[in-house]
Amino acid sequence: MKPEREKYRNRIDLLQGTLDMLILQALQWGAQHGYGISQALRSRSGEVLQVETGSLYPALHRMERQKWIAAEWRQTEQNQRARFYKITAEGRRQLAHDRSKWETMVAAISSILEA
Amino acid sequence: MGSWRGFGTRKAELDAEMEAHKRMAVADRASRGDAEADARAAVDREMGNLPLVKDVTRDMWGWVWLERLGQDVRYALRQMKRSPGFAASVIGTLALGIGAAAAMFTVVDHVLLRPLPYKDAGRLVLLEEGGPDAKIFFFAPWADIEQWKSQSRSFEDIAFSSGLEGRTYLEGKSAAVQVDANAVSSNLFELLGATPALGHGFLVEPPSFAAGKNTGTIILSDTIWREAFGGDKGIVGRVVRVNDTPYAVVGVMPPGFRYPEGTSAVSGQVWTAIRLGPKDRERNFDSDYGVIARLRRGVSVQTATAEMATIQKRVAVQYTDAEQRVDHSVVRVERYGDSLIDADVKKALLALLAAAGVLWLIASVNVTNLLLARSMARQREIAMRGALGASRGRVVQQMVVEGLVLSGCAAVLGIGLALVAIRLTRSVAPIHLNVDFSTQVDFRILAALCGLTLLSAVLSTAWPALIAVRAPIEPVLKQGGLQTGAGRRHNRLRSGLVAVEVAMSLTLLVACGLLLRTIYTLRHVPLGYRTDHIIVANLSIPSYRYVEKSVTASLYQPLLERAQQLHGVQAAGLMSEVPLGQTFNIVLSLRMNGSNISAMLKPVTPEIQPIFRMKMLAGRFFSKDDTPTSEGAAVVNPAFARLYAPNKHDSSSLLGIKVWNLRKDTPAHIIGVLDDERQSSVAQPSQPEVEICLCQITPGSNIYQPSTIAMDLVVRTDRPTAQMIPELRDLLRQASPELANSTFSTMNQIVEDSFGSQRLAAHLLEIFGGAALLLCVAGLYGLLAYVVTQRTRELGVRIALGAQRGNLLWLVMRQAGGMLIVGVAAGIGLALASGWLVRGFLYGVQAHDGWTLAGAAVLLLFSGLVAAYLPARRAAAVDPMMALRSE
Repeated sequence: MKPEREKYRNRIDLLQGTLDMLILQALQWGAQHGYGISQALRSRSGEVLQVETGSLYPALHRMERQKWIAAEWRQTEQNQRARFYKITAEGRRQLAHDRSKWETMVAAISSILEA
Repeated sequence: MGSWRGFGTRKAELDAEMEAHKRMAVADRASRGDAEADARAAVDREMGNLPLVKDVTRDMWGWVWLERLGQDVRYALRQMKRSPGFAASVIGTLALGIGAAAAMFTVVDHVLLRPLPYKDAGRLVLLEEGGPDAKIFFFAPWADIEQWKSQSRSFEDIAFSSGLEGRTYLEGKSAAVQVDANAVSSNLFELLGATPALGHGFLVEPPSFAAGKNTGTIILSDTIWREAFGGDKGIVGRVVRVNDTPYAVVGVMPPGFRYPEGTSAVSGQVWTAIRLGPKDRERNFDSDYGVIARLRRGVSVQTATAEMATIQKRVAVQYTDAEQRVDHSVVRVERYGDSLIDADVKKALLALLAAAGVLWLIASVNVTNLLLARSMARQREIAMRGALGASRGRVVQQMVVEGLVLSGCAAVLGIGLALVAIRLTRSVAPIHLNVDFSTQVDFRILAALCGLTLLSAVLSTAWPALIAVRAPIEPVLKQGGLQTGAGRRHNRLRSGLVAVEVAMSLTLLVACGLLLRTIYTLRHVPLGYRTDHIIVANLSIPSYRYVEKSVTASLYQPLLERAQQLHGVQAAGLMSEVPLGQTFNIVLSLRMNGSNISAMLKPVTPEIQPIFRMKMLAGRFFSKDDTPTSEGAAVVNPAFARLYAPNKHDSSSLLGIKVWNLRKDTPAHIIGVLDDERQSSVAQPSQPEVEICLCQITPGSNIYQPSTIAMDLVVRTDRPTAQMIPELRDLLRQASPELANSTFSTMNQIVEDSFGSQRLAAHLLEIFGGAALLLCVAGLYGLLAYVVTQRTRELGVRIALGAQRGNLLWLVMRQAGGMLIVGVAAGIGLALASGWLVRGFLYGVQAHDGWTLAGAAVLLLFSGLVAAYLPARRAAAVDPMMALRSE
């Protein structure tokens, strides 16, 4: 029943900081459900980033507990009931923090690579 | 959030969320032109293992552990139901260990950590005077206390008190009640931080020789207020009589308040205010006080002791007598709480607590061993769980929960056992040890118990669980893995644990053996008198009635005559204190033949000798011919003769020597020397003793006062004790109502009680030792039985290859022997090393007594081999065909 658990765990660990940032960024554009978030990330990344359900939902539920995002049940345009997430004030602060960290990191890595 | 319902709702919600995701994904693909079935399959592939995704997501809620815990508890209960024998042995073993530890802990806690009924009692200290090497310290005279009060800086305040002389009786509504009456300085209650529940109490004023505001007033304890006055709220201001003296009640203390604490057998207390008398102007023994002080905040006992040492240098020089100057040169500052605990009892209890702790350890080791065995047997199950993705932490958690459930049951059973044990102990506890076993298990004990349980559970489950999960999964799944290297290593570990058990059990058995030998030796010490068919009444004498008239003529003589006429009484006599009575003794210091003599003094009646059947070494005992008007007579004991006889080898050389003056111009001569008798302790040789005839003591004689305080009525009868005591009590009540309070015992009981801490320790160690032996045998049996089951196939192969049955029997017995020998050797070392713990209680046997060691070792070896024989025989009876076919 659970042979792949270790695998999933590892992937979440690897992506954690980045995935959180991406999800928060996706929610900046408006409240969205899980499927919508994964679709948005895919299309915005030019079909490069495919967020797996096994990473997405644990991350969403964790961030909900951390009060970075809040959830509610709403109707979609196709009249589907879905759980919509939206970013909170705390989530925005976290996103800003993650972004500045990310940018520092990218700058640092590129300066090494280009040296 | 966090409730079970919340969990269920959220689970449903998550399902719905995933379902919505799936529907949207399928709809998307369908809208792009995929066939419905293809879209569904693609989405399923994309989303992966949904239950796992949900599981990991639920992890993020943070309280899923609660659900897991529930699962684990249910699983543990199922496991227990599946193997009730195993559960019963684990629970029983642990309950035994926990019960013993809890019972001992309760008693020790109650005796050693007893909370005192005073505010901030940790700062209360006693101040007592003594010599430089003194073991005994004394109360202090007012002259010294006055200087301490004015010179010391360590104390907030110093108060003092003394018990009223003689026995005191308070006249209540219906009868006179014996009370513990103390005269106290007016600041005592404030110093103790206690205020009366009724009335204003004493008005604080400096001690004075003149009459003060508190003169003629009295404070009652709650007990006496209820007992004698029925809790009458209007008691304050009324006049009550103590020993016929009227006092006005100014206060009733709250329930539970006592001072002094634990010194008197009488439960009710009253307090009057001290008025200093002429005797207090000089330093003498006639008038001294128990001194209690409250340390200033932050001042340690050491600091106070140092300060008092400086002060006492100046105080001691004021003693004119050189000997007294030395005897009062040191002040001991002792915490009040510590002073209340008898050092002997404390040692006994701590040693017993250690023994209970060892028993608990044995139980824990035993359970660890049992669980270890089971975790081996469940290796496949654990490996399977690992293969299915259960993390190590999860498996360990599950097994620890199982352990907790088991030890939780054990704890409940253990509390029950502890309560029963305390109840049983109460009946064997010697009276004069002043150990109160009436304790209920209180909340602190429960907390300690839960700690123990937790420790037991973690000790005995986490370890085997860790070993089990660390085993590699594949080999176990492939071939049962029973004969792998790891399995053998665990067997060695388990053998080691059994050896540890054997060693610890041996230590307990040796301690038990030593105490049993001590009791045996004590019981067979020739006492020098008979103890059978003797009833002793420790008389509660209304001393105040006999200040002027002769207690002998008006109370004792008529009482004796009537007692002797009772049906079934062969003889009745009086003695100030029966041998081993430990109630009251009078020390006589005098000069005889130009040398200083110190001896115990006992007034007796002539009938005492035939009652106790004491033998005479020389001369005669008292007889009817010794009367108040005849020549003064005294009888001494061999200890007296050894020290003071003119001819040390001939006690008869003492006869006719004048000991002292009974009254002015009435000398008492030695008329006889008794044979040796054990007087204050069976274990100790007698002290010099002088007996004088009770009838020769009259109000004018030198030692009149003590004979009105302490007297035992001794009766030899062939009728049953239970029948005699009520008749005797009636007789006493008729003589004087106060006498009905007298305490009755038999001489046999008094001798038994005098064994005190040894008897208590021996009884408890019998239980601990027996339990340890049982556990250890069970542990050994359990291990061997398991090993034999595990090796059934191997044994079958051996037989098939031609091994003799005897060889197989020997194979198992050899393993048992190895464990036993290692354990016994370690145990002997342990017993020798821990000998100092019991040395203080031993009599007539050494702590490293070879016979006891050997006896305990043989007992253990023998029981161990018997336990090993059963599995060994099963090993020898293995049917090769069955063995090879199984598995």
